[in-house]
Amino acid sequence: MLLKSVEYVRPGSVDEALHLLRSNAGAAPLAGGQSLSNILKHRVASVDVLVDISSLDELREIQRRPDGSIEVGACVTYDELDRSLGVRAGHEIIARVASHIEDSQIRNRGTIGGNCCLSDPTNNLPPLLIALDATMHVRSAGGSRRVPVEEFFKGYFLTALEPGELLTSVEIPALPAGARAGYASLNVAADSKAIVRSAARVKVNEVIEEARVVLARVAPVPIRHRGMEEALVGAAPTAESVRAAADTIGEDLEPVADSHGSSEYRRQMARVVARRAVLEAIGQGGGM
Amino acid sequence: MTEPSTTHAIEVTINGKIYHREVEARQLLVHFIRDTLDLTGTHIGCDTGSCGACSVILNGKLVKSCMLLAPQADGAVIDTVEGLAADGELAPLQESFAAHHGLQCGYCTPGMLMSATYLLRENPTPTAEEVRRGIKGNLCRCTGYVNIVRSILAVAEANRARLTGTSAEGGQQ
Repeated sequence: MLLKSVEYVRPGSVDEALHLLRSNAGAAPLAGGQSLSNILKHRVASVDVLVDISSLDELREIQRRPDGSIEVGACVTYDELDRSLGVRAGHEIIARVASHIEDSQIRNRGTIGGNCCLSDPTNNLPPLLIALDATMHVRSAGGSRRVPVEEFFKGYFLTALEPGELLTSVEIPALPAGARAGYASLNVAADSKAIVRSAARVKVNEVIEEARVVLARVAPVPIRHRGMEEALVGAAPTAESVRAAADTIGEDLEPVADSHGSSEYRRQMARVVARRAVLEAIGQGGGM
Repeated sequence: MTEPSTTHAIEVTINGKIYHREVEARQLLVHFIRDTLDLTGTHIGCDTGSCGACSVILNGKLVKSCMLLAPQADGAVIDTVEGLAADGELAPLQESFAAHHGLQCGYCTPGMLMSATYLLRENPTPTAEEVRRGIKGNLCRCTGYVNIVRSILAVAEANRARLTGTSAEGGQQ
């Protein structure tokens, strides 16, 4: 397939990349390219200059800090997340979720930054990063800022990034003492597009003390379901109370309908995946 | 490559041979391999990253060559299906595909062979489940995959026999 004529540049540093993004109207960063290539082929977005950031060492590091938090460079691939001992040490669930993204070829190229910046509602990592309370590190030629993950996803294919800004890394805090995470997804086929999915982080100290329950594919961006979270807090960590809490998911959601499921089907299945994600997070099975 | 340009001079090593070419920035790697270098073993199926027929191994990693631009491969070392046979002898995997009817029309075979080659490099003794996951990115519309999985498992079995015969750690993952 022949693409529209485009300029390509491989900067030697993040600073250089940021300068190129600022000084070229129509410039876009190119990381793993597993979505952008198709966007260029279908000419649904017009890009004049591709700034290839995929091999910048500064964006490819995974740092594990003494407090157990990790900072993952935006151009770390899914395969690297899966293999990273630093990730597996305290955030095994990230490695697991990354290892189930599509196929080997895509996992070898696709990046955590791309998965977030595309803001495709079917993407795997955004709901998990919201459940884990991540912070997005953003830089531009003019400075840097930190964006709480819940403020990062703005809509279908829309993020909080301004023109000229680059997501450089994602910081994920250690799980609080007594907390665990869970993730469950109903997919069209194995390791493929999600019909609906859920991620959760739940802290238990005899009773459930804190709960973050995220639903994806029921709204333009992944959302926390406050009703279910509130129903969980104070409840015993049992299958019965998780089921009762999941039943708060209902008419408040207006999920999209498509060939893979009606709005009502997604609403029903949201209850199921949320229950499974929370059950995993309280150590009662479930997951995926 | 530090200045934006619609053309770039690139150097790529494919199957051990170094190629220097001037490429358009918009050229897909698969077209560079097939049209510019005339290495037509790598196939184009869907052109959208769905079918895996264009799979090659780039710097040791399996990728779909329709999902990269040619200039992104500057400096890369690439293995394509043409590099599997050596000295006129088919690779064991290729022999196994022939022996176990792992292909019918053959269109997906180059990509399937590269995915299987990558899988067996990463894990010489995969289980059937691991083989199925390993070729998840490659579509075959003829075989129903059963004989493809069988072909790959036969090589895995030979690897297992060889490893258990020569190494104390043989067969372990």
